[in-house]
Amino acid sequence: MPRSAAGRERALHSARVSSPLGPPIHVRDLSKIFRVHEREEGMLATLRSLFARRFREVVAVQDVSFEIGEGEIVGFLGPNGAGKTTTLKMLSGLLFPTRGEVRVLGRVPWKREAELLSAITLVMGNRSQLIWDIPAADSLRVLQEIFQLPEQRYRRSLGKLVDLLDLEPLLHKPVRNLSLGERMKVEFAAALIHEPRVLFLDEPTIGLDVSMQVRIRRFVADYNRRTGATILLTSHYMDDVVALCKRVIVIHHGHLLYDGALAGLAERMAPFKLIRVTLAEEVAASSLDAYGEPIEVLEGRITLRVPREDAPDRTARLVHDLGEHVLDLTLEDPPIEEVIDRVFSAAEVPVAAR
Amino acid sequence: MWRIYRTLFVAEFQQAAQYRIQSLLWLLFAVIRPVIFLAAWAAAANAQGGRIADYTVGDFAAYYVCLSLVSQLARSWDAYDFEFEVRQGKLAPKLLRPLHPLHYAVVANLVYKATTLPVLLPVLVLISLTFQAHFLTQPWHVALFVPSVLLAAALQFMFGWFVAAFAFWTTRIHAIMHLYDRLVFLFAGQIAPLSLLPGPLAALSYVLPFGYMLWAPTEILRGGLAIEQALIVMAVQTAWLVVSWIAFVVVWRLGLRQFSAVGA
Amino acid sequence: MRYLRLLALFAQTELQFAMEYRANLVLDLFEEVIIVVSSLVAVLVLFSRTGVVNGWTEQEMIVLLGVYYVIQGAQAVIFEMSFERFMEHVRLGTLDFILIKPVNSQFVVSARHVQVPQLGQLLLGLVLVGAGVREAGTALGMLELVEFVVALVCGLSLVYCLLLVLSTLAFWFVRVENLLAIFWSFVDAGRFPVDIYPGWLRVTLSTVVPIGIAVTVPAQAITGRLDALGLLSILLGTVVVWVFASWFWRLGLRNYTGASA
Repeated sequence: MPRSAAGRERALHSARVSSPLGPPIHVRDLSKIFRVHEREEGMLATLRSLFARRFREVVAVQDVSFEIGEGEIVGFLGPNGAGKTTTLKMLSGLLFPTRGEVRVLGRVPWKREAELLSAITLVMGNRSQLIWDIPAADSLRVLQEIFQLPEQRYRRSLGKLVDLLDLEPLLHKPVRNLSLGERMKVEFAAALIHEPRVLFLDEPTIGLDVSMQVRIRRFVADYNRRTGATILLTSHYMDDVVALCKRVIVIHHGHLLYDGALAGLAERMAPFKLIRVTLAEEVAASSLDAYGEPIEVLEGRITLRVPREDAPDRTARLVHDLGEHVLDLTLEDPPIEEVIDRVFSAAEVPVAAR
Repeated sequence: MWRIYRTLFVAEFQQAAQYRIQSLLWLLFAVIRPVIFLAAWAAAANAQGGRIADYTVGDFAAYYVCLSLVSQLARSWDAYDFEFEVRQGKLAPKLLRPLHPLHYAVVANLVYKATTLPVLLPVLVLISLTFQAHFLTQPWHVALFVPSVLLAAALQFMFGWFVAAFAFWTTRIHAIMHLYDRLVFLFAGQIAPLSLLPGPLAALSYVLPFGYMLWAPTEILRGGLAIEQALIVMAVQTAWLVVSWIAFVVVWRLGLRQFSAVGA
Repeated sequence: MRYLRLLALFAQTELQFAMEYRANLVLDLFEEVIIVVSSLVAVLVLFSRTGVVNGWTEQEMIVLLGVYYVIQGAQAVIFEMSFERFMEHVRLGTLDFILIKPVNSQFVVSARHVQVPQLGQLLLGLVLVGAGVREAGTALGMLELVEFVVALVCGLSLVYCLLLVLSTLAFWFVRVENLLAIFWSFVDAGRFPVDIYPGWLRVTLSTVVPIGIAVTVPAQAITGRLDALGLLSILLGTVVVWVFASWFWRLGLRNYTGASA
């Protein structure tokens, strides 16, 4: 039995839901192919479709495999339509896969067993599960009954969430009277009231202002620390991923492109670095051709792109050659957005390697 | 003015194509209600040896078929949309245009009827055959029917807008419109031809405007009124139309003032 | 039972919201009174000219009208708003929140938005039934009462199943409201006994839009006009329809979640 209170709490927590040996999330060769009806405009086409339907197969997810361990926060990256949400839905039991094996907390999600459903949660950034016209407190009471939470456990859980999220003034106002950020906080409360072990967060910070995004990120990290919950997060905002996820899974065209540390992503996907140098005099960017490819000039600061392996060497040469003319110099990884963009706009899809 | 109307018509026809199904739905309701009451009165008449007062089963059938047709032709619903528009703020931009919102309403109204009539008529023929409707219509009945149904349509239109104009004052206009609806249900000839209503109710229904929105042209078309009666009825229709128009203008003007004072 | 507690909770949260708009609440109740009274006037006008309509006396017709509003009221209280919201959920993609909860989805979808104020219709309907039965003076024994309750429950179930099937269509056709509107216009025919209508309408009101038998059979039961065969048929019919509707709902759900057929 761990010595700290938090640790004991966590141990008790994980003992509550029976999960045989194995990671909380286990995915193997997961595929989802949608059959979409080809529907054309016009009366004739509609009539024709009543007799003979034409189908088109859309591969949303193909042969995706990964495992997520207890307490991990994993980021799911990918452009729109990449298959992120589809995968998330299959993990939460909302969608049947075409092929493959999924185990969440040892159970098959789409069997929708009550024990599993009581231990997972889904937060969708642009959709709310709360009833708009009534105060959040009432929605939470309904959730208490749905999850069959004993009064003591409900109060304790609510108390913690109220503290973590500053919910006190928000609970008794009708949800539609809350600002967007306040609504998101209350949404999280509703999603976590039953103390789930696995969290699926689909674009949780979308549409929020920067300060609220920061607060939500802090909250998620806090929650993970305190409860050891396993979190799978999809986001468009790199800041979310950078702040929360040590590990990312990149999905593109339904394929798993990369599964590993965030830092490693840049290394693998974007084999170059950036030298940002500020010189004493203004020089034409092209004059620095020898050291790297100039890609940006901003207020006297020139950014050069250099191949990763050559970076140390080129940097050294630049400093040596230009000496005292150099006012400032940094060597950086390309911004993660750029990395991702490159990955997604690549004509060829590089095969994932672990 | 004609050019403006023509443009509105074309635009509205295009819109109507999209609302095909909705239009047909309203049509269904216009048919089902009369059929329900026709069935009731037919059963009642049969229990009384085949007729009640001046109406045989065939007469009832003719009455309700005509009522259904008149319901469609004289129908006015856009007043219901008015309250919605006031709330949504869609009214303000319309008021800013040089054209009074009524003109839009008229065009939409006419287009709807033009598109649904071809579907209604065969259905009514079917019902006439099923119940063996017996029409007493003479040619002059039809001649008088045309102005009468126009008067009825105008009256429904005007009175409806008069009621709806109260939306300027209250957000709970739906309650008032609902009450108006039920008054039409009771006194316009839907639950029974006006002459069959019990004494005091009948007298009331001849005085109130509702009967002149539906019952009047219905009875003329069926041939149930003699020529003098038809002319008197049409005179009352005209009178109520004038009264409604005046009432509407007054309420609308007052309401506009109130509306702009409160803020669009 | 857990689901009863949930139902009470649903009703409570919706009622709290309605209480905030007290004026609207009063108006709603007022409207319900107006609706029932004007329909009653229609029946009275009919019977001012005749003593019997297709074998139904005035008092029996009033009983039937009462049953009509009991059923209308009941479905307006429990299901109507819930199904409306369900179709919105399908459209907006928020149905997932319901499916991910450890609770029967059919139950939540059917009863989430209980509208207590609509009880007005139901109570007025019961008043009419009571008044009609008393005026009719027919002997009302335990048997009739039991038959009435059974027939009423069956009638309400039939209406529920109809609504459920229609709402399930929302899984495939996004704009189901139009279809619903069609059925509501047929429901209006429930105000009179189903036997007064011409063949095709009678059949429709006994099968596809079962409001006809849903209202007429209980009215027959409490006025002593129902025989054992009639009661048995409605019972059997209800069971069959319920099985079908539940199966159809599950089919819709499986389709929505992409299960292979």
